[in-house]
Amino acid sequence: MISLHNISKSFGTFAALHDIDLTVRDGEFLALLGPSGSGKTTLLRIIAGLAFPDEGQVRFNGEDVTDLPVAERKVGFVFQQYALFRHMSVLDNVGFGLSVRPRAQRPAKARIRARARELLDLVQLDGLGDRYPAQLSGGQQQRVALARALAVEPQLLLLDEPFGALDAKVRKELRRWLRQLHEQMGLTSIFVTHDQEEALELADRVVVLDRGVIEQIGTPEEVYMAPRSGFVSGFVGDCNSLPVTVSGGRAEFDGQPLDVAVERLRDGPARLDFRPHDAAVSANGHGLPLHVSGVYRRGGCWRVEGAVNGSGQIIEIDLDADQPAPRLGSQIAFSITRARVFAEEGTQ
Amino acid sequence: MTPRLPHQSRGLQLTLILCALVFIGFFLLLPLVAVFAEALAKGFGTYTAALVDPDALSAIELTLLVAAISVPLNVVFGLCAAWAIAKFDFRGKSVLCTLIDLPFSVSPVVAGLVYVLLFGAQGWFGPWLIDHGVRIIFAVPGIILATILVTFPFVARELIPLMEEQGRTDEEAALALGASGFRTFLRVTLPNIKWGLLYGVLLCNARAMGEFGAVSVVSGHLRGLTNTMPLHVEILYNEYNFAAAFAVASLLALLALVTLVLKTSLEWKFGYSHGSTR
Repeated sequence: MISLHNISKSFGTFAALHDIDLTVRDGEFLALLGPSGSGKTTLLRIIAGLAFPDEGQVRFNGEDVTDLPVAERKVGFVFQQYALFRHMSVLDNVGFGLSVRPRAQRPAKARIRARARELLDLVQLDGLGDRYPAQLSGGQQQRVALARALAVEPQLLLLDEPFGALDAKVRKELRRWLRQLHEQMGLTSIFVTHDQEEALELADRVVVLDRGVIEQIGTPEEVYMAPRSGFVSGFVGDCNSLPVTVSGGRAEFDGQPLDVAVERLRDGPARLDFRPHDAAVSANGHGLPLHVSGVYRRGGCWRVEGAVNGSGQIIEIDLDADQPAPRLGSQIAFSITRARVFAEEGTQ
Repeated sequence: MTPRLPHQSRGLQLTLILCALVFIGFFLLLPLVAVFAEALAKGFGTYTAALVDPDALSAIELTLLVAAISVPLNVVFGLCAAWAIAKFDFRGKSVLCTLIDLPFSVSPVVAGLVYVLLFGAQGWFGPWLIDHGVRIIFAVPGIILATILVTFPFVARELIPLMEEQGRTDEEAALALGASGFRTFLRVTLPNIKWGLLYGVLLCNARAMGEFGAVSVVSGHLRGLTNTMPLHVEILYNEYNFAAAFAVASLLALLALVTLVLKTSLEWKFGYSHGSTR
């Protein structure tokens, strides 16, 4: 079990992380999700021992490892650009962790090579051991980096944007494969990503970070369906925002009351968030008017773009693709079936 | 429009190339030919005689000794400085960078005079050193000190941009895999910078062997004792012994040519390995 207590870190005057508390369970696959500058990579590096917090504690299984350097934490780290050793063959890269052990604990050369071959088999790169990193594709390099990290038998695997540099198809395959590997090897894994889709698909739990603060920790379902802040709802998944006015526990848009429950908010201006699929066309013409300015197919739905009312606010809604697509320039009426209302940024 | 541009500039291109060639021919090639022509003007016998002269041999020996001491020291220093600057963030980093460049911007004569000021008979530490029987100025230690000062930017300057470009992740990866700092240096950092390092050593060596100004100030020109090759050339020349002067000078010119060939082949290799692995 890994636990972080009150972690803070700044670079000069820039506060990269502020008062982070986090517990990672054994065997968990955890995503650190956030935009660039949110502090997610810094947090991962602090867990690894590649960076050190200004304040707070890092504990592995209750033991304080805050001041322990990376070499002594026994973690596997996969770097964003893989950081493979260019001048070494793939086999030597994978065997590196074993070959640099102190002499007493170092396996024999032949044993190291055999172990490296096993790992290459595991990451499905058997037969490529004599190649050099430059001769491999991005996806293959990624697997080598993973095999290299696993060679030292870490309990904890840390991955920095593991799929960032790969094309979409390879990424999808590798994701599934990594998830399998994680379960097969009984690892605890933490990965950093800015891609919400990746986080929702892979992780057991998602930690959403913004500007050095944890906005929400939860399962993908919780984070997507019950975002705790406007930032989370806007960052995780497609989301429309409308400026509304709260009065007497109800939200109004442009003077029109909406059928959305509002909790814990004072009367006044607020922000209403809803997902494109949480909207439906109203048959009777009642509801919010949408001036259709764009329609395209998105899987089994029509993704319809347009301005609501005279506000000029552009939103997107998904309509059933079994129905004919709305014509461009036409006006349709829709209702919001599920939404959340948040205080305006900066007020609470 | 665009295809015309290369056409239009072809004339300009040729003119520029011609200018460069004429310039190089007049200022570099011609003197180089002159050195060898003059050295061999009185026949091969005179040429070899000038080289095996005891004073010449002693100058060659001293030059090799100076290079053998100052180059390794500057390699160590250059590695330390480049490592510190490229891999760590600390206060005063840019000041250190500027200081490393100082020997490039200061006249070598000044570099020599500094040591006279410090260690000369009237210098700060001079009297104390003389009392204890240590001779630095007008002796070999002074020559070595002056050479180190003049040549210390070469290795560091070569490595700093290279190491900055390569970043820290390779080292971090090695450390994360449990390697010690020293092992990381030997197995990851050094192989990554070896061509750049060799290049720096080559330039450093060429300068160490060819340095005149700074060495001239501290040497005292004692024949057979504190004369390096460039100083020996000057003495012979001042004695109107042109054939001998040019014979020794031709060795220095040869050193320059060898350095140039090695440097070019390294550049080729350097650029090549960069292109193929990045």
